[in-house]
Amino acid sequence: MQTLLKILLRYSNFLVFIVLEVAAFLLISLNSAYPRSSMLSTANSVIAWQQEQINDIRGYFRLRSINEQLAEENIELRNRICSMDSAQNGESFHYATAKVVQMTTDQLHNYLTINKGRQDGIQRGQGVRNSEGVVGIVRTVGQHYSVVLPLINTQSNISCRFAKNDYAATLQWDGKDNRFAQLTDVSSHMVVNPGDTIITSGLSPVFPEGIPVGIVESSYLKEGDSYYRIRVRLNTQFKRLKYVEVVQNAHQQELEELTHGMD
Amino acid sequence: MEWTKQIGRYIVVMLLQVLLFDQLQLWGVCHPYIYILCLLMMPITLPHSVDMIIGAGVGLIMDTCCNSLGVHMAACILLMFIRPYLIGAIVNDKDRLNEQLTLRTLGMEALIKYVVIMVLIHHLTVFSLAAWSWAHIGFVLLETLVSSILTMCIILGYNILKYR
Repeated sequence: MQTLLKILLRYSNFLVFIVLEVAAFLLISLNSAYPRSSMLSTANSVIAWQQEQINDIRGYFRLRSINEQLAEENIELRNRICSMDSAQNGESFHYATAKVVQMTTDQLHNYLTINKGRQDGIQRGQGVRNSEGVVGIVRTVGQHYSVVLPLINTQSNISCRFAKNDYAATLQWDGKDNRFAQLTDVSSHMVVNPGDTIITSGLSPVFPEGIPVGIVESSYLKEGDSYYRIRVRLNTQFKRLKYVEVVQNAHQQELEELTHGMD
Repeated sequence: MEWTKQIGRYIVVMLLQVLLFDQLQLWGVCHPYIYILCLLMMPITLPHSVDMIIGAGVGLIMDTCCNSLGVHMAACILLMFIRPYLIGAIVNDKDRLNEQLTLRTLGMEALIKYVVIMVLIHHLTVFSLAAWSWAHIGFVLLETLVSSILTMCIILGYNILKYR
C-alpha cells in the first residue's frame, strides 16, 4: 500500500496531466458529435455581445458594400412578395431576420454567430439563408444568440439538386476556398456542364425547395471513376455576410419525429 | 504584488487576442495565438500540477471564444506539462533563473530556443486537433508555420522591449 502511494505521489504531476488531457479530448469529441453547451461557445451572451460591438465598429468601414447588399435584398424581397401573391401553395416556412455578429471565413471549421436565439424561436437544425442563397444550418442555440455551421465548414453537408433535371447530390466543402464548394455523389452517366444551377432539393425539412446554392464552375471525370468531381461557385459571398434569414419550418419537428420513427 | 501583475497581463493579453488577433484574417493561413505569451512567461514558482490547471482554464476560455471546445485546452495543458522539462533541458545554470523567465534571466539564446519550441508545439497541436483529419495535413503545416512565425516575433519582441 505504501509503495503504491509513493508511486502515485512520485507520478502525481503526470497523473494530473493525463486526467486534464482526457477531459480536453472528451470535450473535443462530445462537441463535434453534439454541441450541448451554448455557454462554452460564441452563443454565450457575454462573448457574443462583445463580438457584436467589434463587428459594429468594423461595419462602418464596409457601409458601401452593405448598402449594395441591402438594395439587392430589397429587390429580392419585392420579387418574393409578387410570387407569393400569385401562388399560395401552402408552404409551411417562415423567415426570421438576424444580424451576423461574428464569423470566420478562412479556417477549416468556420462558424458564424447570429443575434437571434431561443427567445426568438430559433432551434437547432434550422436552415439559414440570405438574399443570395444558402448560408448554413443552426448548430448551437443560446438564449439570445446562436452559432451557425455555414456551407464553408468541412463538417457541412447540404442536400441539393440540379435545377435542370432534379438530380440530387450532396454539397460539401474541402476547406480551401470560401467561394467554392464540392458536389459529391453525381454519377458519370449525368451530363454536367459549367453553368448548371444548383438549388436546394427540399428533400430535408431544413430548407424549402429551390433556394439557390451555386453554379457549376468545372466538372472532372477521371477515367474509370463512376462519380464526378464537381466544383461549385457558391452564390453566397461569405466574406461580406451581414444579414441572414433563419428558415423556420412549422412542420420540422413532426417531420423529424417521422423520420426518426423509420430508423 | 507579483501575482496581481501576472493576472493583469493575462487580462490584457487575452483581450488583445480576442479583440484584435482573432479578427485578423491574413492570407487565410495566419492565426497567431499570442495569448500563450502569459503561459510561457509565467514564473516557475507554482507547483507543476497547478500550472497545468491554469493552462486548462486559459485554454477553455479561448475555446469558448473560438467555438473549438477542448482544442486550446488540450494544447495549453500539454504546453504547461512540458514547460519545466524544457527549461531544465535548455538552461544550464538553474540558480541564475531565480524563478523568473525573462530575457534577462534566460539570455537571448535560451529564450529564442524556448519560445520557438513552445510556440511550434502549441500551434501544431491546436491546428491539427482543429482539423481532426489527415486530409488537411498540408494546410495544417502551412498554417502552423506562418502563424508560429508571427506569434514568435510578437513574444520575442515583447521580451526585448520590456527587459532589455
